[in-house]
Amino acid sequence: MYKKTVQIKNQSGLHARPGSDFVALATKFKSTIKINKVDQPNRVANAKSIIFVLSLGIKKDTVIDISAEGEDEVEAVNQLVALIENGFGEL
Amino acid sequence: MKSIKKGNAVSKGIGIGRAYIYKQYIPNIEEEIVDASLVESELEKYINTKEQARIEITKIQSFLEEKNDEKSKIFGAHLEILSDVAVIEEVNNLITDMHYSHRYAIKNVYDMFIDMLSQVDDLLIKERVADLKDVRNRLLRISDGVPELNLSLLDQPSIVIAQDLYPSDTATLDRKNVQAIITEVGGMTSHTAIIAKSYEIPAILGVEHLLEEVKQNEWMIVDAIKGNIIINPDTETIEAYKNKQKEYLFKQEIIKKYIDVKPLTKNGTKIEVSLNIGSASQEELDNEPYVDGVGLFRSEFLYMENTQMPTEDEQYVVYKKALEKFKQKPVILRTLDIGGDKELSYLEMPKEDNPFLGNRAIRLCFDHLEMFKTQLRAALRASVFGNLWLMFPMVGSMDDIYKLKSILEEVKTELNEKKIEFNPNFKFGIMIEIPSIIMVADHAAQEVDFASIGTNDLCQYLTAVDRMNPMVAKYYQSYAPSMFRVIKMAVEAFDKAGKPISVCGESGGDLIAAPILIGLGMRKLSMNKSSVAGIKRMITTHTIKELEDIATHALNLKTEAEVVAYVQSELHSEE
Repeated sequence: MYKKTVQIKNQSGLHARPGSDFVALATKFKSTIKINKVDQPNRVANAKSIIFVLSLGIKKDTVIDISAEGEDEVEAVNQLVALIENGFGEL
Repeated sequence: MKSIKKGNAVSKGIGIGRAYIYKQYIPNIEEEIVDASLVESELEKYINTKEQARIEITKIQSFLEEKNDEKSKIFGAHLEILSDVAVIEEVNNLITDMHYSHRYAIKNVYDMFIDMLSQVDDLLIKERVADLKDVRNRLLRISDGVPELNLSLLDQPSIVIAQDLYPSDTATLDRKNVQAIITEVGGMTSHTAIIAKSYEIPAILGVEHLLEEVKQNEWMIVDAIKGNIIINPDTETIEAYKNKQKEYLFKQEIIKKYIDVKPLTKNGTKIEVSLNIGSASQEELDNEPYVDGVGLFRSEFLYMENTQMPTEDEQYVVYKKALEKFKQKPVILRTLDIGGDKELSYLEMPKEDNPFLGNRAIRLCFDHLEMFKTQLRAALRASVFGNLWLMFPMVGSMDDIYKLKSILEEVKTELNEKKIEFNPNFKFGIMIEIPSIIMVADHAAQEVDFASIGTNDLCQYLTAVDRMNPMVAKYYQSYAPSMFRVIKMAVEAFDKAGKPISVCGESGGDLIAAPILIGLGMRKLSMNKSSVAGIKRMITTHTIKELEDIATHALNLKTEAEVVAYVQSELHSEE
């Protein structure tokens, strides 16, 4: 398993378009990918499900864990982290 | 004729038409467990239902994309929900493991997710619940074999009446024929509210038991300005509302066209158009892009909304908010103006025979010095965040000005001693509303940085009319030549001293008075938000010379009626 922690930078958090972009990218990988807020480690969401991702209510400045398990786990986590760090083009 | 006053008018306007009762498919799914042998076929039915839904949604999506309608995004979101891996997995699990019928499984899974998102403490996400319900209903309807219904074809001006509306109902809405929308559920942030506002369709939501009150095809009037629904109106009422509707639409058109323009006269003279505000609410502050500043911040609202004296910090926060929002644009903060017709429950004010001529505004503040200084400290502390112009109401003499200055000095000294920061360059000004100060305006202009004319009280004191007494209302003549003559004296005195002067009473936003005021030399008018566009229109369609001619002529007329008739004919003749 591969895991990284990252802080949400864009204004709207993981809502609407950024949420969709995030899920669309996650879906491209074969690995199982999960996310959770660092302060709520027990509420883990399937990163490939827009509904689960939305249900976490991730706003700007929230810190989240992204973890993946599978053949492309490193690539998956790194690309998702990069997407967040680039602020989904909102910065 | 029957009238209903319920619900929230979420999108303003007036609609007149026949009731179109829109009953969507309402899923009614009972528990349905199937035989193990049918699991495969239920899984397949789910796939087919999903596919059918995908085709329907894609059709709406491309219809909207062709029209470059932003709302196509909503249906992109519907497709995402439809193909959400977690949803599909859960539905498949319920069918495979629990032997649920596909319909029962769909209902269960969607309801679970609807419940989950409803609990997220975030309005934007709560809005997505409407999308989930919409997709759920679409799937259940398809599997029930019921055809799609929407509001794309109406054959006459209609009032759409529904329990609730979902994105699918409104996306292909026939905007031409929808006069208004009324629903039984829904609040300010609901999907229907957002759609109605963006399409500018009048809407009243949250009208309980509506469907029991209205019959299909009945005539109706929806007044979403006042929040009034009239069922079966008589012809006279319909005619009256048709006029109201016309007026409203005309005003809206002016707003659209002029709210954004720079208030320059035809020859390029800049007239500052400022805003009157009360509580510095978000809604008020959102008008910042359209105005040159705040010409009157009525601080008494802060006092009147409370059941006890607002503290220095409470006031500071509100003043700071307004100053920060307007940055370098001036914010004229008027200190507490109570007494007269305004009272505070927590401040004992002895009953007076003539309260408007009594202990009000600064006079009352002089008697409650600690309360007054608290407000001044709050304002001065907030001054570091913007461009504070501090204005004092009901100044009647030079004595008042000297006294105010000495109190201000005391407050400044106190702040300096405590090393509390403030901007020493804030402006000190007076409100001109007592005629006596106009008679010594030359002296006053030497002592203050600016002045603003409160035309309501000025008129009351000039004409000796208690403006709360209906028996003498006809003597309150704010367009009388005498009003404009005294205003002219004030303008000239301040112009001579090189100090700014403005108008912040009703006249500033009034289409009869404002042209004359500008013609008299006034270069700053402050008004309520609803007047901004109309005044900008008047400014941009005239030259200063034209307005000066209007003013000169008006000053020489003899009665108020003559002034009104004259200005109206002048303004109309150009249209």
